Amino acid sequence: MPAPAQFTHLHVASSYSLRYGTATPAALAVRAADLGMPALALTDRDGLYGAFKHVQACADAGIKPLLGADLALLSPGGATPRTPRVSRRAGQSGAAGQYGPAGRVTLLAAGQRGWASLCRLVSAAHDASVSATGTATGTVRAADDDVPAVTLELIAEHASGLVVLLGPASDVGQAVAARRPDLARRALDRWRYLVPGVAVEIVDHLDHKSTFRAARLAELARDTRVPAVLTNAVRYLDPVGSMAAQVLDAARHLVPLGSPRLVPHNGRAFLASQEDMAATAARVAAAMTGPGTASAAIGLLAETEEVARRCALDPALDLGVGTRHLPETKGTAYDQYKELRDRCEHAILHGRYRTAGAASRPRGVSRLRAAQTARDRLEHELDIIARTGMAAYFLTVADVADRIREAGIRCAIRGSGAGSFVNHLLGISAIDPLEHDLLMERFLSPIRGTLPDIDLDVESARRLDAYRIIFDAYGAERTACVCMMETYRARSAIRDVAAAMSLPPDEIGAIAKAFPHIRAKHITAALTELPELRRSRLNGAQLEAVFGIAQQLDGLPRHVAMHPCGVLLSDRTLLDRTAVQRSAEGFPLSQLDKDDAEIAGVIKLDVLGVRMQSAMAHALTEINRATGNPIDIDAIPRDDEATYAMIQRSETIGCFQIESPGQRELVKKLAPRDVADLIVDISLFRPGPVNSDMIGPFLRARHGLAEPRYPHEKLVEALRETGGVVVFHEQVLRIIDVMTGCGLAEADLVRRHLSAEGGPERTAPWFHAQALARDFDPVTVERVWQVVAAFGGFGFCKAHAAAFAIPVYQSAWLRRHHPAAFYAGVLTHDPGMYPKRVIIADARLSGVELFPVDINASSADWTVVLPEDATPAGSPRATSLAAAGPVPDGSVSGRTRLGRSPANHSLARWFLESTGPLQALRFTGRKPSAPGVSPQAIRCPLREVKGISEAEIARIVAGQPYTSLRDFWNRARVSRPVAERLVLIGAFDSLYASGPTASPCASGSAASPYSPAAHRSPESPNLRVPPSSPEAPPHPPVRSPASASWLSSESSVSSVSPEPVWLSAPVPADISGVPAPLEVRQLPVSPPTLESSLSSVSPEAPRPSVLPPSSESSLSPVSPAPLWLSPPAPADISGVLASPEAPQPPMSPPASEPSLSLISSEQLALGSRTPSLSRPSRRDLLARVGVLARQSPTTRLGPPPALDLFAGAGAEAADGMADLVPAGQLRDLDLSERVEAELEILGFEVSQHVLNFYAELIAGLSVVRSAELADRENGETILVAGVKVATQTPAVRSGQRIIFASLDDAIGLVDLAFFESVQDRCAARLFGSWLLLVRGRVRRAGAGPMAVTVNGYECWDLPALDEIRVAGGMAAVRTAMAAGDVGPGAHQTLQDQPSATTYAADETAGADEPARTVIFANGFVLSPYAETGAPGGNLKTPPRTLWHASPGSTAS
Amino acid sequence: MGRVYGEPIEVLTKEDGDPVSFAWRGRRYTVISVQEYWIVNRDWWREPAPFPERPELRFWRVEASAGQGQPAGSYELRRDMAAGAWMLRGIAD
Repeated sequence: MPAPAQFTHLHVASSYSLRYGTATPAALAVRAADLGMPALALTDRDGLYGAFKHVQACADAGIKPLLGADLALLSPGGATPRTPRVSRRAGQSGAAGQYGPAGRVTLLAAGQRGWASLCRLVSAAHDASVSATGTATGTVRAADDDVPAVTLELIAEHASGLVVLLGPASDVGQAVAARRPDLARRALDRWRYLVPGVAVEIVDHLDHKSTFRAARLAELARDTRVPAVLTNAVRYLDPVGSMAAQVLDAARHLVPLGSPRLVPHNGRAFLASQEDMAATAARVAAAMTGPGTASAAIGLLAETEEVARRCALDPALDLGVGTRHLPETKGTAYDQYKELRDRCEHAILHGRYRTAGAASRPRGVSRLRAAQTARDRLEHELDIIARTGMAAYFLTVADVADRIREAGIRCAIRGSGAGSFVNHLLGISAIDPLEHDLLMERFLSPIRGTLPDIDLDVESARRLDAYRIIFDAYGAERTACVCMMETYRARSAIRDVAAAMSLPPDEIGAIAKAFPHIRAKHITAALTELPELRRSRLNGAQLEAVFGIAQQLDGLPRHVAMHPCGVLLSDRTLLDRTAVQRSAEGFPLSQLDKDDAEIAGVIKLDVLGVRMQSAMAHALTEINRATGNPIDIDAIPRDDEATYAMIQRSETIGCFQIESPGQRELVKKLAPRDVADLIVDISLFRPGPVNSDMIGPFLRARHGLAEPRYPHEKLVEALRETGGVVVFHEQVLRIIDVMTGCGLAEADLVRRHLSAEGGPERTAPWFHAQALARDFDPVTVERVWQVVAAFGGFGFCKAHAAAFAIPVYQSAWLRRHHPAAFYAGVLTHDPGMYPKRVIIADARLSGVELFPVDINASSADWTVVLPEDATPAGSPRATSLAAAGPVPDGSVSGRTRLGRSPANHSLARWFLESTGPLQALRFTGRKPSAPGVSPQAIRCPLREVKGISEAEIARIVAGQPYTSLRDFWNRARVSRPVAERLVLIGAFDSLYASGPTASPCASGSAASPYSPAAHRSPESPNLRVPPSSPEAPPHPPVRSPASASWLSSESSVSSVSPEPVWLSAPVPADISGVPAPLEVRQLPVSPPTLESSLSSVSPEAPRPSVLPPSSESSLSPVSPAPLWLSPPAPADISGVLASPEAPQPPMSPPASEPSLSLISSEQLALGSRTPSLSRPSRRDLLARVGVLARQSPTTRLGPPPALDLFAGAGAEAADGMADLVPAGQLRDLDLSERVEAELEILGFEVSQHVLNFYAELIAGLSVVRSAELADRENGETILVAGVKVATQTPAVRSGQRIIFASLDDAIGLVDLAFFESVQDRCAARLFGSWLLLVRGRVRRAGAGPMAVTVNGYECWDLPALDEIRVAGGMAAVRTAMAAGDVGPGAHQTLQDQPSATTYAADETAGADEPARTVIFANGFVLSPYAETGAPGGNLKTPPRTLWHASPGSTAS
Repeated sequence: MGRVYGEPIEVLTKEDGDPVSFAWRGRRYTVISVQEYWIVNRDWWREPAPFPERPELRFWRVEASAGQGQPAGSYELRRDMAAGAWMLRGIAD
């Protein structure tokens, strides 16, 4: 057997064949080069996603690239020969179709023409598959699952420069396999007739019969004189890759391994050596019969090399690598440059740059000198632009930015582009680089080969609008979005592998979710290293197999997605250089990713959707709507003292970039006074400066505590602005320039080198030589070098920080001067890191009221409440609002401000009672609103209602106002669950607020009993009831015994009851009609109606959980039917009454006074005066929804019924329906039910803070509140509690994984840190619970109240603890806490729980180092799990059970 | 395939792995020619981890005879590459 000199693989799938190939293009190219092959093809399936990666990899490996694609083939009438596998699929596609699946073909591109054809063909394949599957015939489906496919005719249209390889999977090969040589020959003839470049592809993977078939196919080629090539249809690097490939097949087809739908695997589709391929050729030749078999092997290999030679591509000539393809819309390069110069000079002439104004000029610089500086800078930049030929790019971006702004979309620059003065003059950038001393070279330099990026930030909500503007302006032939590959990570890999291995779906979900968002290759390591996984049961042997294979899938692309911001802008040859498919959003999506675009020489414009821009746009709209005075936020002065004062107090929650705990700490220390300070602040808050400990020296220098230290006097200028500390990339450039004299452009190249692996080592000799030659002394050179090298790629581009600083300032300005509009914007667009509850709490603390969802007042989005809207007739809130009047700036104490309105009433009361004077500490210095601005309020929007659709929102808003529930039901036509949810959260309360008990809010907050005072215990001296509070009647003596006896009573019985409580409570004298409430329930009510009203709660929707629990759990033990259906049997009641312990509802509403006052003021009165009562309760309204739904059971989505007798306002009273569910029939929701409904339906509370329900437990444990932290000693051990609102595991200096968490405790945030040594016992609870109690030590990082962190070392589930308290009192709670973990699922870990006392010593950081860490060149150590989110659910969604199942509701 | 056996056998092979002869039920069969040769992965996912690096089953359909004068038959041999064990899968008629 002659060993051939060379062999080239012509059919190779990389990992960019989604869920098919397992080897990266780079690995394949390296292997091919190692095997001594001269070239390598990449023919990925269904797309060209890997093409430029292959080109790059081949260039790196020193071999020639070939490019192609492996595409699904359709042929008329389906597969020509009905082989078993294909015919099964064809059968599914139905008979109507013209085309049926007929296998796959491989195409190779020859020359530039071939590459263009290939791009166009792949685009057409994607296009055809999309349109064809959507047609009525609906039969164009390929042999795989729903992939792009081509027909012979389509290939013929694009055949120029293509070579078609017809292998075993082609129609020809399948006919051969079916032993139909006649059909095979006919199919081959068709190909030859329509397509010039056809070759037969011989593959022998040693499958059963494959050698036989390969020989027959080779004979066919020989007999028809068609060239035959040999390939190995490669899909992995080595035979071991076949198992992963087999799993990918299963995942792709969504069937388990072993399914008959999957092809057998045998590990032969690897990148075989030349010797292996020669042996294959010989084996096939030996199996051939007829003439010429002796030379068949040699002929096969020779033909393969001939095709390889013909299709080898020249990256520069054929693919356009290294050239730039800019939009040609502005004429010749000269025209473009001239236009650019004209526009810039015009801008200078008219002073349209910031440093032309006195306020922005550096101090002491005259206007003339500033103008001269500007002209010099312009000439400098124009020179660079001319030399790089980028004028068209600047003009294009300016044009795009103009068009976006013309459409009313906010648009700001980001990134290094802010360093360009030309960008400022063209209006692209609001930053004048001369004002902030920014460098053009960081952005664009003539000696750098890479293309510049100008990034535009637009409103996230209108990002796609911006895309459409670009596409409309430049046309689809020049424009496409950039794609990106979603890759397998731990969770997705585990899911796919486990599914392939037939694990039950619910188990798969549980296993996958147990992992944080880490890379798949870290699965095994994470199992042993992450405490929360170490303690799970995932280490079992049965899962080892799943994890083992899952790790092999690490990083493989699995899904093509639209890059969140990249848009390609090119000349009209774009579609000859990239294949384009349609994105899910309907945009043309290039198969180039952002790196490919750079290689392919296509300019990429990043148009990022930034939520803060949307939030600010919304705020500005609301300001305009509320005041009629539009504000140009881009024109506001950037030196507003009040704004900076607010930032210095770190009241920055909701602001862009500076709201995180760390940033709030930093701005407190830094005390920014101007935009320049904000730039420094943003730049310092990065891993680089943090890990190099730059912040300390910088702050000391800034506050004059230490003299700035400069390595050399020549570097003073570069480093003065940051006190000698290197913060910015621009400073590194200047240092390198000063030390070596290389110029800024080259300095930027050096800087980029430094961030590469091994870069510092390679650069050091050059730097030293240059610097020493310039007479710097060796000590200085070495010292400077150390700084530069350590800084490496870490620092921050100052231009980027400057671009960020503007929206930081703008958002802070809005927060300071228009808080209601600001919070409306932030809540609508959710730009930051905190869940809505934190923003809402912050809004309230800033004096912005929260109004509930109102069916007539709420919009789709959060809105500012206009003064007229805030005064619905009869609403007490209106009076309070009106009475409050203007709020003098800064003069309002928290107490009076908070007490101002019912909405804040509960919160305020709670502050007063639980924290006493402390709240004053928190609020002093808070300046809620600008002088003269009336109190501000925001309105909850409809969109926050769970399950509401956009169509429903639109109908509701269009139909406002509504006169009744029936009117709403008929015109808004929402689904029944949505209507019920709206009722439950009180959206109709104002509509029915005309009665004597007018305001639901009033009844909720003023009359209902949430007062922690009811549960006042001796351990909580802090709790005191304001003497003036009318809701705090003398503590009923019954209470204490009740809680003491709680343990012995059945929980189901105990939760019952309002009745027993109420009956046994000392009845105030004025409540004469004790039985009255019972009578109320006996009112004649038609049972079906009520049944429907009851059932309406549960079946259709996640049940609100408000009603059913109370009715089922509390009522059923007493009487089988809800009380209002059957009169309470005296026997039942007496049974309960007989019990000496009146069960006491554990939570507040349960609190006696509330129910007392509620009943006495409303229901008792109602009982005696039912006819006069006009205000229906929410439960009444819920029942009415049920009635309405029964009356109009037609589909709610259709048009309104043509004839609706009851439609329209006023009909309700007449139609008798109201009689079925009379107002006041059903008890209204109590406060806990309201809060629970709000949490369930809105995701946050409106009525009062959820923590209030744990007031007794919190008081009993002497929990420290956030406002008190400032007074605590460093190192003091304390308990804190609250709602978990954020967890983060960012990069920190020690290399540990530290879990940072924030708790919202109703008056502020408590920032927690959990070090690795305690994560073993804390992590699972921390990630798994929503309401937490944490024990930790106070750590005071510096001066100031914000700099307090609690290093947590134990944590418990608050609801679980409260259940224990309810059952056994505070003593039981303490016992349980001492025992260790408490909470759902705690039992399994109680044994190995270190007790609190054993903890003491190991809290200090670094007790155990993680097994693996990432160590950067500058010594920065990083935990591999840094930046990985917590396993578990979404923080914004409260868990179903917020507190124990029986909140002690006062069910009637 | 006519009869199926699935019995372990002893096999002598060439350097490239092709069988030369095998012993079955006390008789030695000499391979006259290899008629077919193919490879299939076994169902590795049904087995306890760790998986073999090469879960290959190699099959040879050979023409063999038990000695001079004995009639030649078609035998299907299987080799589990991970365990190295041979098996007579069956005899084709």
